[in-house]
Amino acid sequence: MNNSKFMDLLERILMPIAEKLNNNRYLTALRDGFLVALPLIIFGSIFVVIANFPFLDQMLSEEAYTAYQEALNPASAATLSIMGLFVIIGIGYKLVEHAGGEGIYGGVVSLAGFLILTPQVVEDTAGGIPTSSIGAEGLFLGILSAFLAAEIYRYFVERDWTIKMPAGVPGAVTRSFSALIPIAMTLFIFLVIRIIFSFTPFDTVQNFIYTVLQEPLTALGGGLPATIVAVLLIQLFWFFGLHGQILVNSVLDPIWYTLNNQNLEAFQAGEELPNIVTKQFIDTFIVGIGGSGMTLAVIIGIFLIGRSRQMKQVGRVAAPAGIFNVNEPIIFGLPIIMNPLVLIPWLLAPVVVAVFVYVSMAAGMVPKPAGVIVPWTTPPLLSGFLATGNAWQGAVVQLFSMCIVFLIWWPFLKIMDKQYYETEKQEDAAAAKE
Amino acid sequence: MKNILLACSAGMSTSLLVSKMEEAARAKGVETKIWAVAQDKAESEMENADVLLIGPQMRFMKNKYSKVAKEAGIPLDVIDPVAYGRVDGEAVLNKALELMEKK
Repeated sequence: MNNSKFMDLLERILMPIAEKLNNNRYLTALRDGFLVALPLIIFGSIFVVIANFPFLDQMLSEEAYTAYQEALNPASAATLSIMGLFVIIGIGYKLVEHAGGEGIYGGVVSLAGFLILTPQVVEDTAGGIPTSSIGAEGLFLGILSAFLAAEIYRYFVERDWTIKMPAGVPGAVTRSFSALIPIAMTLFIFLVIRIIFSFTPFDTVQNFIYTVLQEPLTALGGGLPATIVAVLLIQLFWFFGLHGQILVNSVLDPIWYTLNNQNLEAFQAGEELPNIVTKQFIDTFIVGIGGSGMTLAVIIGIFLIGRSRQMKQVGRVAAPAGIFNVNEPIIFGLPIIMNPLVLIPWLLAPVVVAVFVYVSMAAGMVPKPAGVIVPWTTPPLLSGFLATGNAWQGAVVQLFSMCIVFLIWWPFLKIMDKQYYETEKQEDAAAAKE
Repeated sequence: MKNILLACSAGMSTSLLVSKMEEAARAKGVETKIWAVAQDKAESEMENADVLLIGPQMRFMKNKYSKVAKEAGIPLDVIDPVAYGRVDGEAVLNKALELMEKK
């Protein structure tokens, strides 16, 4: 009785948190922003993979290999490396559209606002924007600029600070004029912010945000303790049948993507990769082994030891989707939700695997994620190979992770299966009597 | 023709249900159009639907969707977790039909 009260209490705490996180206007816009950028991110990732095919550097002469890479690099340089720009447009578009305005103006005003705050000098030469500023380094500023620009723009549109056109003027003309004053006011404010910051020791806003916000937050988010907390939160939400991944992602994606792109920059420059925890560390090595909680190993476990009809049925239903990391059938079907029996392996396995993969990468046994974004529906082993920049060790570490998950789950699956089996036997006996 | 809209985070896990529900509808002889969408598409798709069912893992969307569903004049509910786990098309279809009837 105490048990169910405790469950009720947790549910009552977690549901409002989930609702707030998922429906927060800024977090929704952020999620949509990344969604807008996703096709471009994947396009760029595909070309990073092709440009770094294994053994190619040994098959081709050094000159030919360099030429090959240089020919393909613009594909990722124009998309994946500067994904911040597309995220900004997406955020501005969605925020303004959501408020009932013309989304496209929200997108462009956000982009322009960000560019105003961006350094426009490359190695003392004016008239250029450093690609690093619109890449990983600029992601936080970009997101904040988009929030701010969209809000200011909306403010002026809602106050009706627009130029009115007489009746009979074509709609497109009216719209372009109606956006003029709000855009001008918004960008003017951004310009003032830029000028104010030029008198501070930070010189540029980008520098300020990077030093004060981005660097400390990414350092924190890139550490193992924060990652374990994130993983535990995801698992806890899911235990109550709430989509933990989407909730935690909406807060941590900016950090994980920034860490990811830092690695990409280093990978393409042939330098040592700075980060272990990245977007791909989470998506490929934590989630990407059958879905949140790495349930592909659980499904395999069911096939290996399941005797009860219920277990076998769950395994059959869950397996095809599980290969592509969709695991709602097993989460709700086994069930994992609200099932005290599996709480221990459910919380423990992903944490142990996170530590295991982290240590393997820190020790240099497995290459760190290369910054390639592998879609989360990519089956395990393939995803590990791709995420580490075409390294077989990436697949092997996933295989070991699956073994770990299986071993942690094994005794609990056994108990569960036995319980189901006994119940079914009794039911069958009762049915036979009738 | 009954239009049944399913929504979850990315429209992936609800899409597992779509074919099972279609099967169940054929067996019942009910003419349906069933489709699954990601959470951000659900609101704009509601105008084409007669009922909205939400994946249980996204049940925190119910309040938000309720407002739009009210405007669109369609009923909505969260899919039963057990039926969801079993990918039980028939149970979910019955639920959808029941919701539409009640209205």
